[in-house]
Amino acid sequence: MDIRLLRSSDIPLIQHANLENLPENYFLKYYLYHALSWPQLSFVAVDVSRPAKTPYDYPKIVGYVLAKMEEEPTDGVQHGHITSLSVMRTHRRLGIAEKLMKQSQQAMVETFNAKYVSLHVRVSNQAAIHLYRNTLKFETEKTEPKYYADGEDAFCMKLDLDFIKQQIIDAEGGEDKDGKKKTANGSAETEDQDEGEPVGDVGRDPEADKKIKVKVGRGLGVGELVERDESKH
Amino acid sequence: MPQILSTKEANLFRQVIRDYEEKRYRAGLKAAEQILKRNPKHGDTMSMKALIMNAQGKTEEAFNLAKEALKVDFKSHICWHVYGILYRTNKNFEEAIKAYKTALRLEPESQQIQRDLAILQVQTRDYEGYVQSRFAMLKARPQLRQNWTALAIAYHLEGNLQEAERILTTYEKSVTVAPAKTDLENSEALLYKNTIIAEQGEIERALEHLEQDCKKCLDRLAVMELRARYLAELGRKEEAATAYRALIDRNSDHPDYYKRLVEVLGLTAADEAAKKAIFDEYAAKYPRSDAARRLPLDFLTGDQFRGAAKAYITLMFNKGVPSTFANLKHLYSDSYKKDTLPVLAEEYLKERKDSDAQASSDSSKGEGAALFFLAQHYNYHMSRDLTKALEYVEKAIELDPKSVDFQMTKARIFKHEGDIAKAAEAMDQARLLDTKDRYINTKAAKYQLRNNENEKALNTLGLFTRAETVGGPLADLIDMQAMWFLTEDGEAWQRRGNVALALKRYHTVFNIFDIWQEDQFDFHSFSLRKGQIRAYIDMIRWEDKLREHPFYFRAALDAVNLYLTMHDKPEGINGTNGAEGHGANGEDAAEKKKAAKKARKEAQKLEKEAAERAAKQNPNKAQKDKEEDVKKKDDDPNGLKLAATKDPLGDAMKFLEPLLQFSPKNIEGQIAGFEVYIRRKKYVLAAKCLKAAQALDKTHPKVQEQAETLQKTIGKVLGSLPSKVQEVLKAELA
Repeated sequence: MDIRLLRSSDIPLIQHANLENLPENYFLKYYLYHALSWPQLSFVAVDVSRPAKTPYDYPKIVGYVLAKMEEEPTDGVQHGHITSLSVMRTHRRLGIAEKLMKQSQQAMVETFNAKYVSLHVRVSNQAAIHLYRNTLKFETEKTEPKYYADGEDAFCMKLDLDFIKQQIIDAEGGEDKDGKKKTANGSAETEDQDEGEPVGDVGRDPEADKKIKVKVGRGLGVGELVERDESKH
Repeated sequence: MPQILSTKEANLFRQVIRDYEEKRYRAGLKAAEQILKRNPKHGDTMSMKALIMNAQGKTEEAFNLAKEALKVDFKSHICWHVYGILYRTNKNFEEAIKAYKTALRLEPESQQIQRDLAILQVQTRDYEGYVQSRFAMLKARPQLRQNWTALAIAYHLEGNLQEAERILTTYEKSVTVAPAKTDLENSEALLYKNTIIAEQGEIERALEHLEQDCKKCLDRLAVMELRARYLAELGRKEEAATAYRALIDRNSDHPDYYKRLVEVLGLTAADEAAKKAIFDEYAAKYPRSDAARRLPLDFLTGDQFRGAAKAYITLMFNKGVPSTFANLKHLYSDSYKKDTLPVLAEEYLKERKDSDAQASSDSSKGEGAALFFLAQHYNYHMSRDLTKALEYVEKAIELDPKSVDFQMTKARIFKHEGDIAKAAEAMDQARLLDTKDRYINTKAAKYQLRNNENEKALNTLGLFTRAETVGGPLADLIDMQAMWFLTEDGEAWQRRGNVALALKRYHTVFNIFDIWQEDQFDFHSFSLRKGQIRAYIDMIRWEDKLREHPFYFRAALDAVNLYLTMHDKPEGINGTNGAEGHGANGEDAAEKKKAAKKARKEAQKLEKEAAERAAKQNPNKAQKDKEEDVKKKDDDPNGLKLAATKDPLGDAMKFLEPLLQFSPKNIEGQIAGFEVYIRRKKYVLAAKCLKAAQALDKTHPKVQEQAETLQKTIGKVLGSLPSKVQEVLKAELA
């Protein structure tokens, strides 16, 4: 297992993992949209121990976090959002979901100065809620009724990322004598042992399809084209 | 002479453009008609009308009208621009570029046309043209940083790294006010320039630039990784080691960091103990890191391996990590490790029994995990003993009858026994243990497909597809680009003798790859606005070899092989299974005939159902939902037209060409290529495939057979071939 940044070439198999695991699915272009807008924020867990079958093998994705920055935050505060997070049931209990999330959160603060990260989770998904609440310390902000296509409600959860900012400031202020830095890796050790409980679906973005058309798929016309955001119409 | 519009009509014309841009097609058409009533020969309006009709899916009428428009006003840049857009949306990029260029000659100042042209040039990888376009755009608006970056990208893609760097530097020098620390566009442009310096092989200078100019760049991970890499490449080992250690502190589950650290520390294969010490250090520092514990198993040998492996699997079994076997099976290429691991698992079981360990409340941990490991061990092709595998899995199931994982492995064992029906049944049992989990649902459906139960599989998958999708689970899976399903479904139809549906699925996969290629289109301008240039370049490089993906290869190879069978047995199309030509005996043939009849009936039934569904759909409702993006109706939903082809070999070429272009090192592709070319009497190309296959594996039985076929075939016809061809062939065969 290898935790690393997402690359464009991973996307077909990320999409595959998503289709295999979760009911909220997206076109390939929506993954591209994440990879090209916030390339620092999405991570994958890769099964590196599979023997290659052909010279054209692509690494098998066993987990991923697809993350973004909220482009027009309603509260005016810069923050990240988890679009989708999934770990194959065959690769649970290694804490993969948590590791992916921590890498993403770190980058949200460093690159985009995010103040917090938000996500949606099905109210019935106990395992995922446990991960977010107990292991990653998310708080439930509100319930969004009928968020999912099948009518299920979602919890809207939030995690303040100030603690990461603080770690960065501390580290910049002076490294420990032995060069030890507190980073995404180091901060988790004392927390209760989450072994990566079954982690399910987060963040079906109901605007997903609509948005991408607006942001990147505008029909090209003649004359002066003004960029517009049709989601506001 | 073009007609001149009155002020009122000119305003109306602007309204048409707005309507089009905002996808109010009906309103736009109405306004256009109004203008045309008084000015029936107004080319620009005719063109706009054509553009709207094209967006509504009336391609042919749109083209006709656009041509009419050009006839009445062939000097209008709008007419030419629209003409180009029509070609572009219908994917004839070459003609589109020509039309755009004409439009641009007529209206050299148009930013819009220039931009459309530029995007098409980069989409079609006409880098020379792209450089020219971006140069013109920069000249028109040099105040925009985007335009500088874009020209640098154009040079970079063209392979002119020095010029790319120079352009970026020129812009930097022109800036008088230092960009803010939080300026992401600046931060990314600097890192982009840094990678260009490194790509020129100037690592020393790249490091210097990184440390001076990129120190504050916002992508911290990139800065750290680049720095570590440069230091290592420059042989500044001590600093490189520190840099890699910092990266491990950041992410202790990225094996590459450890590998590099070991390298820069100068440790060789012989320094097992010293290497192990490094990993131990991190295992202690990061108790939850898997890499630090598992990676030493790759290089340790003998008793050292045994000890470390024991510690590792004990920890994993205690935790009940289901992927333990998957994470270790790559070690099986070493026979000592392959023999040792099951012994350790047995030991673990024995020790637990001896110590009378408390049975865990979670039976997937401890004993269950070890049994599970052993079941997988004996199920694996390098250590297969299916009787034992079944024994272990039954024991595990006894311990926890509700475990999805255990039941799933049982199904796999049945599959390896060759009992596909039983395997499918067992996998469905596993599914029933957790009906809320899509993973197991997918697996169950896949096994049903392997068992040729297409309809049942679709029902299974339908438990998780979006209920609102018009057209049901199949439409949803196609919409969501479920490659695995399309391929498996096609293969199952093919085995059932339903050529039409099999072809339909393979063609759908092909079309989705077209969509994926088209998907990059919008990002040529989008990425410039976002400023994430490195990610964009990464995407371009990937798209360049998009079709080397195994998703493409498998479906395309299936299609080619199916077309070959269709060519060889045109009369028995629906009776063949696409595999080797077995089935000579009468019983088999009768069986197949029956299957073919059934398949035909099935296809007819599906078609009827689809027609009924379509009829039931309220056309008004669909219109109301979205006036825009008229989904083109599939006029061959069940592939009957595809199957009715008179030229299967010609159709196969569409799949074959990318196969040979993008996966030349895959022997299966070369073998299929030979079979197609020899039948098409393209002897030189057949010889080329054979030669490539021989270079990959001379001993492959199929390759040897093809060599004989080629000799024989050519022997017969050589004299009748043009002398040039003869020469080439002789050279190829020599």
